[in-house]
Amino acid sequence: MPKCMIDGREAEFKPGQNLIEVARSAGIEIPYFCYHPGLTVVAQCRMCTVEIDKMAKLQTACSTPATEGMVVKTQSERAKKNQASVMEFLLINHPLDCPICDKSGECDLQDNSYKFGDLYQRYTEERRTYVDLDMGPVIKKNMNRCIHCTRCIRFGDEIAGIHEMVAVQRGNDTEITTVDGRPLETDYAGNYSDVCPTGSLTLKDFRFKKRAWFLKKTATVCEGCAKGCNMEVQQDANVVYRCLPRENLEINKWWLCDEGRFNYHYVNDSRRINIPVHQSGGLAPTNWSAALSSARAAVKGKKVTVLIGSDLTQEEAQLAKSQVPTLFPGAEMFHYGTPGVISAADDAPADKILKRKSKTSNLHGLERLGFKGFTAMPAGTQAVVVLRGGRATVPDLKGVTAVGVGVFSKPQVESFAAVLPGLSFVEKDGTIVNFEGREQKLKKAISAPGQSKPLSDIFKLWASAEAAR
Amino acid sequence: MSETLYVQHLNEEARPLAYYLSKMDGYTALKKAFTMAPDDITAEVKKSNLRGRGGAGFPTGMKWGFIPKQSPKVKYLVCNADESEPGTFKDRDLMRYTPHLLIEGMVIGGFAIGSSIGYIYIRGEYTREAKLLQIAIDEAYEKGYLGKNILGSGFTFDLTVHRGAGAYICGEETGLLNSLEGKRGEPRVKPPFPAQSGAFGGPTIVNNVETLTNVPFIINKGGEWFAKLGKVEKSGGTRLISISGHVKKPGVYEIAAGAMTVRQLIYDVAGGILNDRKLKAVIPGGSSAPVLTADEIDVIYDIEPLAKVGTMMGSAALMVVSEDYCVVRLIERITKFYAHESCGQCTPCREGCKWMEDVLHRIEHGHGREEDLALLLDIADNINGKTLCALGDAAAGPVTSFVKKFKADFEAHIRGKRCPSA
Repeated sequence: MPKCMIDGREAEFKPGQNLIEVARSAGIEIPYFCYHPGLTVVAQCRMCTVEIDKMAKLQTACSTPATEGMVVKTQSERAKKNQASVMEFLLINHPLDCPICDKSGECDLQDNSYKFGDLYQRYTEERRTYVDLDMGPVIKKNMNRCIHCTRCIRFGDEIAGIHEMVAVQRGNDTEITTVDGRPLETDYAGNYSDVCPTGSLTLKDFRFKKRAWFLKKTATVCEGCAKGCNMEVQQDANVVYRCLPRENLEINKWWLCDEGRFNYHYVNDSRRINIPVHQSGGLAPTNWSAALSSARAAVKGKKVTVLIGSDLTQEEAQLAKSQVPTLFPGAEMFHYGTPGVISAADDAPADKILKRKSKTSNLHGLERLGFKGFTAMPAGTQAVVVLRGGRATVPDLKGVTAVGVGVFSKPQVESFAAVLPGLSFVEKDGTIVNFEGREQKLKKAISAPGQSKPLSDIFKLWASAEAAR
Repeated sequence: MSETLYVQHLNEEARPLAYYLSKMDGYTALKKAFTMAPDDITAEVKKSNLRGRGGAGFPTGMKWGFIPKQSPKVKYLVCNADESEPGTFKDRDLMRYTPHLLIEGMVIGGFAIGSSIGYIYIRGEYTREAKLLQIAIDEAYEKGYLGKNILGSGFTFDLTVHRGAGAYICGEETGLLNSLEGKRGEPRVKPPFPAQSGAFGGPTIVNNVETLTNVPFIINKGGEWFAKLGKVEKSGGTRLISISGHVKKPGVYEIAAGAMTVRQLIYDVAGGILNDRKLKAVIPGGSSAPVLTADEIDVIYDIEPLAKVGTMMGSAALMVVSEDYCVVRLIERITKFYAHESCGQCTPCREGCKWMEDVLHRIEHGHGREEDLALLLDIADNINGKTLCALGDAAAGPVTSFVKKFKADFEAHIRGKRCPSA
């Protein structure tokens, strides 16, 4: 590999790699705002300027590919002065409202100011202010905080495929806004907040809910569709506050769709059933043993069909495969998850970006285990046991007596004989298989809510109740 | 006076095609060019020492040489007629009075670089000139100087006038190209330079109006002849100079390149300072050029000599300031212009130009502070050479030079808490 020198350190690079990336791989940080590895390079913020031997002017590292033998200084007096100067320029009109800003604690502007900025402020003129418009349900705009990096514009144009973010006016009055002030249309709008290096575009969903530094992060995988986008679940005190994309260049790069991003809401939803329930003049909370009795009574001596949500992990599905014949002798098993997507063959890209037609994460894994897709209730079915991870769409049960095992919302199960509460994708470890057969790991981010239990425990309880009979 | 190419024709009579054909050897250079190999045309232009007349002074022949011979993409020749640098109004006269000279220069240029599509990107305010150009283009099409198979050469060249919308930054060549493509008029990151990837992604040459109108002369009389017109090294031909400000006879003048000093231009050519007052300052190359004081005007008026004294010839727009005009007010006004015209893409220019304007405004209006001068110099230093395009330099250079060279005037404002001449 060719080599160059950065701050006296030898750095190998791939031809075409820019100096920010080359420096990063050599353990040297070059600060930047407008650069984003997933977007075109515009060299606008000027934060990443470095000194390069034999070049008179400072050069932007983002737009400069490394060349063999190049000698780069990121910490020369000139480079450092420019870093401090760009920080000063970016802050003169910034409201410095970090105490009430949701980006605080994870803000590039804040971090770079701390590392590269000056202690003193020389600006005494009036600050520039804007009137903000509403950008729709996903993003809250605060233009006063904007540093005009244009990442959002480029994200829309280049990734979301929609030219909806634009710069209007010019010079000092430049405003980043939407075309004609319209609400955002893309269903990838959450990424606008991710790419924003300041608190200018924040998620309405997360606004004023939690300071970023209190959040504990768990690297996991989205369960929103068969794509298997990598995500990070962020929680505090067992409450999930948000999910963010996690870089995986082979799957989702840096992005996440809104459906996947906001899918987590059912986890903490008040309608979620997280204590055992059964019919007692309507669906009523009870304890595990009573609910188990009701469940067992509902299927006893009947021809049972077991529906297995394709939102379950491989481990859970495997467990079902081995336990169902014992617990429900003669029962037929099918997987279910997305209306219209019966088998893996029906799964296809749902857009040109990330989304898949299968709205569950493990359809392809369940097919690998030999499960067949549910098309119609087998003739003579007298009771149905529905296993669900929290995401799969329960098919029409045609009034057959049902028992739910897993994650359900109250309105879904009003007519069920009993529901034994299980774990959602953020409450358990496990494996899921995406559309291309890639196995990925779900990681437990929060503990089981209420009295809900892992599927393995529920099966054990059921089995021991049978044995004790 | 030495030979002039233009000024004798800069009048209403010269406009019609008939005049151009009979009095200016119209389209004879084009006929000659078609007998030459395209590379030989470029070689002739190189030999002529023609340097770009738009501001940067880049050797034109060298620029043409950057165009790849073989290109899978369409090549373009774009005439930069934005003439947005304050103080500059020479290209307006060329387009108004000798439009066919520009058309002929562009067809030759197109032939030399292998481009069959030309655009004239004209300043939005030049409504009359845009119309006159269109009339001339229509005439040229009618007579076969534009369009398919020009003069039986087999060469095709189509020319379109594209009007700008009034932004200074669209005179910057990549800002111009964005605007031409219908995008927001803001400069692009370079490299790639337009010769590799310009208009619509194709190899593109962007030349100033005067640069292109020089081309027919060079082809007709030879690069060597043109080079010899210049009186200083590395600078061929004549220069059209826009003289404005406090002189008795403002206007467009033509001199052999490097034939005169700034002093001669002010006193001998433009008739001296208005009301015979004393000279205070000269901005020699359009408002973006660092200022010269009255003691610094014995410098040869050309690219290299002016660069040596820390300023530039730019678009050859000499702005003369007499002693009774407040230089603080002047630099405030110039800076206001650059702050207004900043495209807003890059941080130092977007934030810094407005900041400088605000500080200068305070000083001019009696609210200056002692530390403001050091602050101004530092802001300017933080902009200069650190922006995406040259607009930052254009804003910073004047501020630095005014503060350094007229420090006493600034201090009088700050200490007296008012503008002494207000």
